[in-house]
Amino acid sequence: MRASLWLRTAYARMWVRTKSIYGEPLWVVVTIGFPLFTSMALSLLYKSSNASQYTGFAILGGVMISFWGNVLWSMASQFMWDKQAGLFEVYITSPAPISAILVGMSLGGVLGTAPSAALVALIGWALFNPAISPAWPAVLVVFTLTLASLYAMGMALSSLYLVYGREADSINEALHEPVSFLSGVYFPQQMLNFPAAVQIAASLIPLTIGMDALRRTLFSGEGLQQISFHIGVLALMAAVLLVLSQKMLKLLEERGRRAGTISVRIR
Amino acid sequence: MSYVRALVASAWAGWQRDFGWTNPIAGLSLKTIGPIASVLAASTVYWLGSSAARSFDPTNLAYILVGAALYAHVAAYSWVPSLAITEGKWSNVFTQVYISPKSSPPYLAGRCLASFATSAITSGGSLVGASVISIYLFNTGLPFVLTPVSIGLLVVALVVNIFASMGLGFLLSAYTIFATKFEWALPVYVSGLLMVFSGALFPVTLLPWPVSAVADVLPFTEFIRAARVALIAGYPGSFWYYLGLSFVGGLVFLVLGLAAYAAAEHRARRLGVVDRKAV
Repeated sequence: MRASLWLRTAYARMWVRTKSIYGEPLWVVVTIGFPLFTSMALSLLYKSSNASQYTGFAILGGVMISFWGNVLWSMASQFMWDKQAGLFEVYITSPAPISAILVGMSLGGVLGTAPSAALVALIGWALFNPAISPAWPAVLVVFTLTLASLYAMGMALSSLYLVYGREADSINEALHEPVSFLSGVYFPQQMLNFPAAVQIAASLIPLTIGMDALRRTLFSGEGLQQISFHIGVLALMAAVLLVLSQKMLKLLEERGRRAGTISVRIR
Repeated sequence: MSYVRALVASAWAGWQRDFGWTNPIAGLSLKTIGPIASVLAASTVYWLGSSAARSFDPTNLAYILVGAALYAHVAAYSWVPSLAITEGKWSNVFTQVYISPKSSPPYLAGRCLASFATSAITSGGSLVGASVISIYLFNTGLPFVLTPVSIGLLVVALVVNIFASMGLGFLLSAYTIFATKFEWALPVYVSGLLMVFSGALFPVTLLPWPVSAVADVLPFTEFIRAARVALIAGYPGSFWYYLGLSFVGGLVFLVLGLAAYAAAEHRARRLGVVDRKAV
């Protein structure tokens, strides 16, 4: 019964999110803007620097930044918006497990972002035709694990954002670009002369490991064996972040109940 | 005189909207971190590409640093009039503006000016921050001219560019006043289009014709060129020539923007959609 409720809740939350995208196909116009223009501009920058062989990095970056944007704006801050709209109270007073809502939201987010990410890839490849040498099974495994750990991070952040009010938007804006820079979304960040502390901090972001592994499998043809370390780290990150998000959500929900702030909509 | 008061009051409201939740230092820091990373990402792409092609040139790096910081500056405040309408519809502020004795243009212009002030500070900070980090990361010098005159010229260019950015803001607002769905996409489109079409990261000649011809005469392109002449040693061209073109183009944008907005506002009043939130 418990498992059935969990699955039905996850499906329901996923369905709402997916329907909101596929029910209005023009919504792609909204989500594709930033990744498409950024990857186009940076591909042209690679090209103008006489390094056309790297345009694929910019296009892959555009694809993955679509998901990172979705994690920040539609996962991390979603509960804060739900709280403002009065929906969060409904979540916690209903028997629906919060973890199922988060997982459903993640799956819906992945499905909803997929069309714009695919379009970025298609348009980028059509315009710049970068050379690729893919090991597809490894690409698929890494891509799936990167999304799993990224959305698990979104779940952990969503609990944190519950305690924020209007500052959540500013924090999102402040996080978006630095994380994509430190993770090396558009370039191999290992080539930069980062101080050790920054390098370590960057390695704790799933996107850093995921981007490195994706570039290796997509452009250098490295297989599952060569990137087994990346796979292990990504899987571990996904598991740890998932557990962490549950614990944090429980903790902050409890704090909100005690302080009486759980239903405060705007601070 | 009363228009000036409305403008100042609206600018103050815009400032409060941005920083009312925190102190200005924390707010400005949060608003500067993103642009620094964005400028650094562009300069890293150039450094990586040009190093691989053995064609790295510090002047080109300076070109990208200035362009990346300034296109983000324009993008950050030119969409604010549109944001003021969108947010205002949901918070019912925009309806109050309508029924007040002054019409909405002074309100939108005031919000735009407040955001200009914020963005001028944060983009200046992002240019300085990204330049310092670039010197360390890429182990290179940068041919910037940092004198009171060059910085003064940059400030003049920033001020002159207000006409074009505000004009763009009113043009976007003419759409937003009717929009109920996709208006949230505007900032990324403004930012993305400026990144590609204003010569921010690469010469506009790289774009296919006739796009390159249009991009070449945009006031934003001329503004960034003028800023480069002021800040980068040996950058070709005349500051006043580029600034003059930016000013003329800016006036055209502003007149067009105000006309489009006035027509849209008139139509929106007649159709009764000023406070429409959803269709």
